[in-house]
Amino acid sequence: MLEVSIDGTRRRFPEGTTILAAARELGIEIPTLCHDERLVPNAACRMCVVEVKGWSRFATACSTQLADGMEIQTASPAVEDARRTMLRLLAAGYPAEAVAAAPEKPFHRLLRSYGADTANDGARPCFTDTQHPYLRVDMAQCIACTRCIRICDEVQGQFVWRAWGRGPETRVLPHGAASLAESECVSCGACADTCPTGAIEDRSVIERGAPETWTRTTCPYCGTGCEMLVGTRRDRIVQVKPVLDAPVSKGHLCVKGRYAFDFVHAPDRATEPMIRESGTWRKVSWPEVVEFVAKRLADIVAKHGADSIGVLGSARGTNEENYLAQKFARVVLGTNNVDCCARVCHAPTAAGMKMTLGTGAATNCFDDIERAATFLICGSNPTENHPIVGARIKQAVLRGAKLIVIDPREIELARYADVHLQLRPGTNVALLNALAHVIIDESLADETALRERVRDFDAFREFVAAWTPERAAAICGVEAAKIREAARLYAQSDAAMCFHGLGTTEHVQGTEGVVCLVNLALLTGNFGRPGTGVNPLRGQNNVQGAAHMGCEPGNLTGFVPIEQGKDVFESVWQAPLPHSRGLNLMEMIDAAGERKLKALWAIGYDVSFTNPNAAVTKAAIEQVDLVIVQDLFFNELAREFGHVFLPACSSFEKDGTFMNSERRVQRVRRAVEPVGQSRADWEIICDVAKAMGHGAQFDFASAEAIWEEVRRVWKAGAGISYARIETHGLQWPCPREDHPGTPILHTESFPIGKTAPLKCIEFHATTEVANEEFPFLLTTGRTLYQFNAGTMTMRTANAQLRGTDTLDIAPADAQRMALRDGQRVRVRSRHGAAVLPVRADSRLKQGELFATFHATDVSLNQLTGPHRDTHVQTPEYKVVAVTLDKI
Amino acid sequence: MNALSELPPVARPPGHRHQPGKDVDSFYHLVGCDLRDRPCDGTACFVAGGGRDAHQPRVYCLGRCFAAPARGLDRARPRIEVHSREPIVLGRLAKGGDGSLASYRSAGGGAALEKALAHEPGEVIGAVEASGLRGRGGAAFPAGRKWAAVAASATPDEKFIVANADEGDPGAYVDRFIMEGDPHALIEGMTLAAYAVGARRGWIYLRHEYPFAKEALDRALAEARAAGLLGDDILGRGFHFDIEVFVGHGSYVCGEETALLRSLAGLRPEPTIRPPYATERGHLGRPTLINNVETLATVPWIVEHGGGAYRALGFAQSRGTKALSLNSLFARPGLYEVEFGMPVRQIVEELGGGLRRGQLKGVIIGGPLAGIIPPHLLDTPLAFEELRAIGAAVGHGGVIAFDETTSIAALVHHVLVFGSYESCGKCTPCRLGSRRLEEIFARPDMPSDEVRELIAALRCASLCGHGTGLGEFADSALRYYGKELEPCWK
Repeated sequence: MLEVSIDGTRRRFPEGTTILAAARELGIEIPTLCHDERLVPNAACRMCVVEVKGWSRFATACSTQLADGMEIQTASPAVEDARRTMLRLLAAGYPAEAVAAAPEKPFHRLLRSYGADTANDGARPCFTDTQHPYLRVDMAQCIACTRCIRICDEVQGQFVWRAWGRGPETRVLPHGAASLAESECVSCGACADTCPTGAIEDRSVIERGAPETWTRTTCPYCGTGCEMLVGTRRDRIVQVKPVLDAPVSKGHLCVKGRYAFDFVHAPDRATEPMIRESGTWRKVSWPEVVEFVAKRLADIVAKHGADSIGVLGSARGTNEENYLAQKFARVVLGTNNVDCCARVCHAPTAAGMKMTLGTGAATNCFDDIERAATFLICGSNPTENHPIVGARIKQAVLRGAKLIVIDPREIELARYADVHLQLRPGTNVALLNALAHVIIDESLADETALRERVRDFDAFREFVAAWTPERAAAICGVEAAKIREAARLYAQSDAAMCFHGLGTTEHVQGTEGVVCLVNLALLTGNFGRPGTGVNPLRGQNNVQGAAHMGCEPGNLTGFVPIEQGKDVFESVWQAPLPHSRGLNLMEMIDAAGERKLKALWAIGYDVSFTNPNAAVTKAAIEQVDLVIVQDLFFNELAREFGHVFLPACSSFEKDGTFMNSERRVQRVRRAVEPVGQSRADWEIICDVAKAMGHGAQFDFASAEAIWEEVRRVWKAGAGISYARIETHGLQWPCPREDHPGTPILHTESFPIGKTAPLKCIEFHATTEVANEEFPFLLTTGRTLYQFNAGTMTMRTANAQLRGTDTLDIAPADAQRMALRDGQRVRVRSRHGAAVLPVRADSRLKQGELFATFHATDVSLNQLTGPHRDTHVQTPEYKVVAVTLDKI
Repeated sequence: MNALSELPPVARPPGHRHQPGKDVDSFYHLVGCDLRDRPCDGTACFVAGGGRDAHQPRVYCLGRCFAAPARGLDRARPRIEVHSREPIVLGRLAKGGDGSLASYRSAGGGAALEKALAHEPGEVIGAVEASGLRGRGGAAFPAGRKWAAVAASATPDEKFIVANADEGDPGAYVDRFIMEGDPHALIEGMTLAAYAVGARRGWIYLRHEYPFAKEALDRALAEARAAGLLGDDILGRGFHFDIEVFVGHGSYVCGEETALLRSLAGLRPEPTIRPPYATERGHLGRPTLINNVETLATVPWIVEHGGGAYRALGFAQSRGTKALSLNSLFARPGLYEVEFGMPVRQIVEELGGGLRRGQLKGVIIGGPLAGIIPPHLLDTPLAFEELRAIGAAVGHGGVIAFDETTSIAALVHHVLVFGSYESCGKCTPCRLGSRRLEEIFARPDMPSDEVRELIAALRCASLCGHGTGLGEFADSALRYYGKELEPCWK
């Protein structure tokens, strides 16, 4: 500890504390302009100068660390004079109207408090950009603090803003572009967030006014779990800003979290309950619709049995709501037919990791990104789909970490990679086996780990002996030398961290692909330590939570198998658990096709639009007698097959918790009142349960009351109370109130014992192979600007940044087929056809295609096939053989 | 130790992913500029009546201050004399050496390297520490301490040597003639430094304004390589080292070491806060020893004769000798090697022979970013602490005398024009304050309160020596020439 005196107050501070941080701790405000906690101190604006006794010049508080015995004056007359002088210099030539328009900007407040008047000595020509949908740039207000440049470099890693010229003529402009739209900008808004003037500003604030109220909550998009401040004005969201001390996002957001909020008050938001009668939708009251649903469900249970009904929880809903959805299915209806969209994304992860490690969730935490020496990214495109994780990985790589990317496309991270294994879609298992082969062949395995924590090594060694890189190279279309290089990088690193996405799971060998990743981690001792592990990047805000809360036919809350949890749940629920094996989502669709599924309650899940093999899916759902759609919008499922519509509200309109990819439970809070008559999912479920005679078991006054019950049934979450996660979430296992949570799993042992098994996974080629009739392999995925079914993002200005799906094709293929960008083509697979515009994209190999699946008018799932993962039936979205017809 | 050819390419450190482009080029003012017919705008040329017309780009010092006002490049050498007890940096030049390896060797050059390679690297550092040598680039930091820091720094791969040959202070032309006429002294000094700290690669960061030095260095480096004095297995002792010349693109602040390193790495060359120091994280993030040309050229003598012999020369905390470059207003302009401690008066009156004509009004030592020495303080000894005490500095050793034909307001204005033109723009006082002061000093009625405020902000609040030096200069003008400035105040 160091003892210093600041403005006469003596206090002790830990080593490494800056003068600025120490002063703030004492409640002494030192003015700053170029400082931002997220950035390396730059000490350029010089506003934070202070006097240190014995120093001949002033010290900058932002960059100067305390030394023992320092005597600091933060506001001596000389210091205040210097600040005033500098502010006058900055004020000369600064537009007075900008100060008047936004008096609370940090720079404008400083001008006021130091009495520095703007002199506006003739406007100079400055860069402006008024065309961007979210950002407005007016460099007449630039004071050259370079925060925009540095946050783009140091946090996002996009390098968009650059300083040009020097001295008094220094100007800040987007790199190599006349506007932001033409630049590499990803519209994360970090520059606008840090800008202390109005030079870069959110358009929403200019057009709708500054927020009056701020509410801290968790982002409703991907599974990263970024925390955001929602700014509202007259009960409308006008701005979203990142939470600076958020454990995951650390003061950063992406274009979706930061800007794509206008869906909440979209003009076509469906806010009234409706019932379809003889083909026509009729608006009804809540009591009427609840009564209707309760009666119809009761009738169907009576007539066809509870197992003729399926319930789908929602990855968009809270933990509390998903908990209630599965409790409703099991307690009120009496069926285990409950699932959620984890089925179509990371069910293979949960199954594969549970099978091998004992826990079906990320082994490590996002804070390990900064501790990893090497990254292995397999079938995941983090900079577009988990942009904050992507940015953190990119920064770590820029700081010197090694990077291996396994992806058919040259995704953005591949440009930063030491090795990019650009494999043929559908060949993960062959490639991962070859990596294991090299690790063993070159004696790179971790002997200690093999001795103490891993079993079945001999059989595994024998099995992978046949998986030479040359053999895999022929299957995967990757050079054998690169496989060797990647294996060495991964195995020889002090700490190698694996992230995987749906490019690993959405295959017929999805679960087995995950197991192969676990094999690599086990072989090399990359588990149970900081900066290691196998870590799924979950696609949606609460897909981890939805399944974990029990929207899973075979598992109860906490991913506890039904038999194992029976006693606890029956005693808490005061009800018997159903006995029959539940149907998962895919089986429900199959059952519907066989006319065995009579009712489907889909909460926040457009299963008609998002399931693969659309023709078969739709034909099946059409057979269902009662389709209850609970959503924000009148989605495709409602439009085509719905019988009842229950208007739900978004996460901005309710309280609860989400669980992110790294097992962290975080708070969701109401920022605006529910729109129209919409209600929270949990309220709707409780009302229907009450109407069906289960009032006592669904008597909850708040989301927190539900959570309290969750804690009673879920041992690993028992220590997580709302009070404890007021500002920072907690990572389970967290069994007691005094437990700090568990950032890293498997440090000493696995839930299945001291050791985990290596599994021999034979490679099975997909039946989706290219041939003369279907010469291309198509793989699918998201883009940065759109999210899944497009329900939310398509209703925001993100649609201006990326408005529709495209069929991305290697430029050489496009040229060979004489296809221009934007030209619409019919894509045909063995299962159907879709029409969409072509976009030449050099990130693709010849013979391979990539398409997004966000647009309802394209409906890409007309192409995807019936093939499913052999363990958990997750569809094979990631590879389908197609041909192109010009139209 | 790996041979140089086996060294991997130097990985760029974190944050360097952005490839330099036109944005960085736009920082410099001499990209691709031919200097042959350019008038010099340096301070020596200004006090000699030159540099008063407006033109772009401006050229702050071609290193021809002995023939000011200068226009274009010229190979003529100034008068060169040694006035110290031992000839250390100007001895060979004074004898008219042609810069070849043969003449360097015939004058005894090369002995230090032979000697050093027969000893442990630590002994070389010991000699430099014992000599009391302080950096000649202006900061006067003890060289031995810097060398020891680089030698001690743990590094996963490499360490580097960088010679700061960005002799940008208008009025200084010491390094220019060392490089043009005695380049092997610099090369031997760098090689000794590399051996001492454990580096295998070195760079000479040479300013754009010295194309003849580039020719001389290229020639000398080729000679040294051919003679086995650079490259793999130097002198058969298993030590590998080589040097590259990097030519700048026109920017005064690149003489500041953090800016220099950024420039060398292709980044926008703004000075950065320290720590980290270059000794820990320098060129491309590796521990780096940066010394200026004269400092490095001094080292062979120290290694050959011992640190004690060097320490025996000089005065107080300023040991050894210093090369000074006198401007054209002196009767005898040229390069002079003197021992520290010589009174400024002796330099002006005896060495320089007083002014060619007119009355001495003041002397600027060490470039315009230090205070002016008025005639009544000429008895101050030439030494770091002693000049510091009167608001002046040794700096690079440029000595510019000016006479009564130069008005103080015009001189201050000239320095401020230079200062704002060369400001990097990173910190507020320098970016905006230097320009604002420049505008004020161009006016007949100057607001004295604002001038004092601006000077205070520059002096106390600037990030690097550029801004603080401008403040010091203006402050000394007000302090020593207040009477002359009085009619200028509003």
